[in-house]
Amino acid sequence: MADDILFDLLHSEIINYALEQSKENGNKKEVDLSIVEYIGFAAGYKIMERLTREWPRFKDELDTMKFICTDFWTCIYKKQIDNLRTNHQGVYVLQDNGFRFLTNFSNGHQYLEFAPRFVAYTCGLIRGGLANLCINSVVTAEVQSMPSCKFHIHVQRT
Amino acid sequence: MTTRSWWRHGESYRMSRLRTKNSPLYIGGIGNDTNTDNELSRQWLVHTALDALEERLASNNSNTTGANTNNTRTDLRDLYLGLLYSTDTHKIYGYVTNTRIKLVLVTSSTSPSGSNIRDAEVRTALRRLHALYADAICNPFHLPGDQITSLKFDKQVKNLMLNNV
Repeated sequence: MADDILFDLLHSEIINYALEQSKENGNKKEVDLSIVEYIGFAAGYKIMERLTREWPRFKDELDTMKFICTDFWTCIYKKQIDNLRTNHQGVYVLQDNGFRFLTNFSNGHQYLEFAPRFVAYTCGLIRGGLANLCINSVVTAEVQSMPSCKFHIHVQRT
Repeated sequence: MTTRSWWRHGESYRMSRLRTKNSPLYIGGIGNDTNTDNELSRQWLVHTALDALEERLASNNSNTTGANTNNTRTDLRDLYLGLLYSTDTHKIYGYVTNTRIKLVLVTSSTSPSGSNIRDAEVRTALRRLHALYADAICNPFHLPGDQITSLKFDKQVKNLMLNNV
């Protein structure tokens, strides 16, 4: 689908742009992806209001996470999360075996070191969506073997 | 047609508020008087209603675990909470979104034509307001948590109130 690829291309160009910016600011070793994360946050925050409009009220946190895994993910990535695990104490692990932004390049270790760039936006997206649902969280991602990706959500309770 | 005129002559007043801090995101209304005293008393009404609203939300949460289902209540998972509170002159309806935005609608309790306000009408109105809010949030000039200042939103809400059903 042409409209799907458009999102992929825009996403990769935004990352290139952010990398370019951080290079100009003199960050030679570390890449600054906070801007990409923030873009994700703002988008996640806004889209959540729309997606939950016709949805009955969530029972609890787990119910919310299930929504993220199914409807939220389908809306953005056209597939569902493959595996959701939780310790019931505020840590959730979402595993996607074929993460969309990683399926475009080779499956081996060739680009493994660059993978973090392609998950920053999604981390922000999840964090923003949850923030709008009044769940403050820290989202990190882990890529071990190429097209699969794990998102760790740590819910911050105050 | 009766409802239409009712909306115009009666005071209809609504306000959406932000989660725990309860700071108003938007206040708007149509009515035949814009007296400051009435303005204040209506704000006071909304604040009173918010207490009732939070009470109801809290009881919803505790009820989901227990086996006692209260059939007189509306569906616990429904976003629309129904009539929250009524005084001699006003009726207050509530709606809480999944994102904990509280929408409060205040209407005068009697219409000039004497007809009653139907629950379904209020429900539709609040659902539409929610849809408008979701659109307003997507305005790139709006910062989350700020008051909604968009003129388009204001116009649409006033339109909604005037043309309801």
